[in-house]
Amino acid sequence: MKVPFSYLDRQFANLEDYLADLREFVPTGDFTLGEPLEQFEASFAKLMEAPHAIGVGTGTDAIALSLKNLGIGPGDEVITTPNTFVATVGAIVQTGARPVFVDSTDGYVIDVTKIEAALTPHTKAIVPVHYTGNVADMPAIMAIAKARGLHVVEDACQAIMGAIDGKLVGSWGATAAFSLHPLKNLNVWSDGGVIVTHDDALAAKLRKYRNHGLRNRDEVEFYGVNCRLDTIQAVIGNRLIPTTPEITRKRIANAARYDAAFADLGEFIKIPVRRPGVRHVYHLYSLHVQRRDELLAHLVKNGVQAKIHYPIPMHLQPASAYLGYKPGDFPDAEHHSRVCITLPGHSYLTEDEVGYTIEQVRKFYRP
Amino acid sequence: MKKDRPKIPYVDLARQHAPLKRELLTAVEQVLDHGGFILGPQVAEFEAQFAKLVQVPFAVGLNSGTDALILALRALGVGPGDEVITPVNSFVASASCVALVGAKPVLADVGPDYNLDPAAAAVAITPRTRAIIPVHLTGRPADMGGIMALARKHKLFVIEDAAQAVAAHYRGQPVGSFGDVNAFSLHPLKTLNACGDGGVATTRNAELAEKIQILRNLGLKTRENCVEWSSNSRLDTLQAAMLLVKLRHLEAWTEQRRANASFYRERLAGVPGVQLPDDPPHLRSVYHTFVVQVDRREELRDFLLARGVGTQVHYPNPIHLQDCAKELGCKPGQFPVAEAQARRILSLPVYPELTEAELETVAKGVREFFGA
Repeated sequence: MKVPFSYLDRQFANLEDYLADLREFVPTGDFTLGEPLEQFEASFAKLMEAPHAIGVGTGTDAIALSLKNLGIGPGDEVITTPNTFVATVGAIVQTGARPVFVDSTDGYVIDVTKIEAALTPHTKAIVPVHYTGNVADMPAIMAIAKARGLHVVEDACQAIMGAIDGKLVGSWGATAAFSLHPLKNLNVWSDGGVIVTHDDALAAKLRKYRNHGLRNRDEVEFYGVNCRLDTIQAVIGNRLIPTTPEITRKRIANAARYDAAFADLGEFIKIPVRRPGVRHVYHLYSLHVQRRDELLAHLVKNGVQAKIHYPIPMHLQPASAYLGYKPGDFPDAEHHSRVCITLPGHSYLTEDEVGYTIEQVRKFYRP
Repeated sequence: MKKDRPKIPYVDLARQHAPLKRELLTAVEQVLDHGGFILGPQVAEFEAQFAKLVQVPFAVGLNSGTDALILALRALGVGPGDEVITPVNSFVASASCVALVGAKPVLADVGPDYNLDPAAAAVAITPRTRAIIPVHLTGRPADMGGIMALARKHKLFVIEDAAQAVAAHYRGQPVGSFGDVNAFSLHPLKTLNACGDGGVATTRNAELAEKIQILRNLGLKTRENCVEWSSNSRLDTLQAAMLLVKLRHLEAWTEQRRANASFYRERLAGVPGVQLPDDPPHLRSVYHTFVVQVDRREELRDFLLARGVGTQVHYPNPIHLQDCAKELGCKPGQFPVAEAQARRILSLPVYPELTEAELETVAKGVREFFGA
């Protein structure tokens, strides 16, 4: 049996519907900030229970544009965790600010008990990452931010529909950044991103900033970028967005099944803490395991497309050399990079495929 | 539609795309066959064909022409403390790219061809100047002979802003092949247009090409190794696939634009009060826009609109008078050529799908207005 990590070919099973939409759309030539994009933004805002959703080029841009429009720039420091994808840090550095890392904790999100120690007079913002689809401890982060007058931009690229006690990601920070990359829970057929915010003035500014700072066709209010979600991708997004709750439900169900199936393998597998009240949306179903590389080889050999997210934590990337960190600085993130493995967990998996994956993992540890 | 469109709209993307629907959808399906939405094979194929068109070894597909300018500056190491010379009459991206990398845009006036005047650029050079960004505005090549000589003399980088000038030539050589790194836009309103945003950087330098490839992809040299923190600015595979369809038509479209320009030049020759763009033999202008200079411009626009003809102004406000440029401390009157042009320029529709009867309607309207 083959259990693929990507599900795109399965998304294409009802291809005709998408193609019909595109056949209708392409001849309109409404390619830039067009009507389907406005419709997608409205649907996204509704889904995330926020007044504003702004389509941008990528999830990375969603973070960078948020920070820039909150006034973050050269000389400022921005707190995030080294246990993330490179885009989080790339976005911070784009603003000219310096990334300052704080270790992760059980659950792979930022350790809120270690934030205070990383603050300096230059700290301007915190970018908590809802990594793997788990939701960072937002109430604690907001308490620190409020006490210290810091901005918060949620990196929710992997966490659409994530929540704590029913309160959705994107409802805490000044903004939240979402990715629509082809492998995300809600995807389009290219790069894409969305900024969600509850701040009317910030939303208005971001809408101009993503479009060259144009107030209208002829007047440029401030220097801005060209960073618009393509309208043609919004056409795809409009067809997929109503399925997001069901996609999320299935990913959560797959994760619950894995959790239960591995519960008795505690000597080999550490399931991350599942905080009560948190709706983890499992963009990645990741575990810490013994003999990780051997397990990975075993699974791949047997047709299960497992992955490593990611083998090098951000502070040890060559790009971080100028920041002066060294191995040992962030033990949890470094440990994660050595023992983490991601199993296929997407919503298109059949019960048999999940069952087969479980069987292969169990067989590896208890042959 | 949001409002009534003139019968001969200034732009009409529907006319271009309706006949291409089948080809474009087939191209989309070919991408779906492999699902490689990110840097898939069509991106590499498009880059190869584009490089051939521009006659350079390297073309890198990006998210937009603006990003091509930004990444060109970043790849060349231009940043805070540096100055970059750029023409005062252009789309704002030609200047904002400089500000966005932390450098200072230094504006210079243009010549009668609407492009950066090498003499004005020479005067703007200071010890902090690192680069010049000539813009091939309207699809007409800038004076690359003069600009390259100036750059060599002062050891400056040249970044051609060829956003409006795919397939234009200067003395037989394609634009986008002169500078160190050059930027093209594939925006829907450009002469080679994606069905969304897109851009290309071209260069002859292998190291710069590799650097831009890394910078567009989050600084990743491999899946695991990030060598420089960066943004994500990849040309979409889906757009590359559709652009490959359009590349097959580009030469015919370009020739038709040139023919439409010739038509206007003939029909409007000698009309008092109308100044036409010339078409010197050492240039192949591609007429992204066909810009005339006229007295009583706003009246003419209304007159043409009443006859069902849409027109546009590229651009009514020179960059130095925009709010975004306040920090530069420029004043009205500082760039007299561009400012005089800004009051008189008018873009007539010139897209290849126009019929001869429509071109005649436009020309006739202009003639009538000026009593010719």
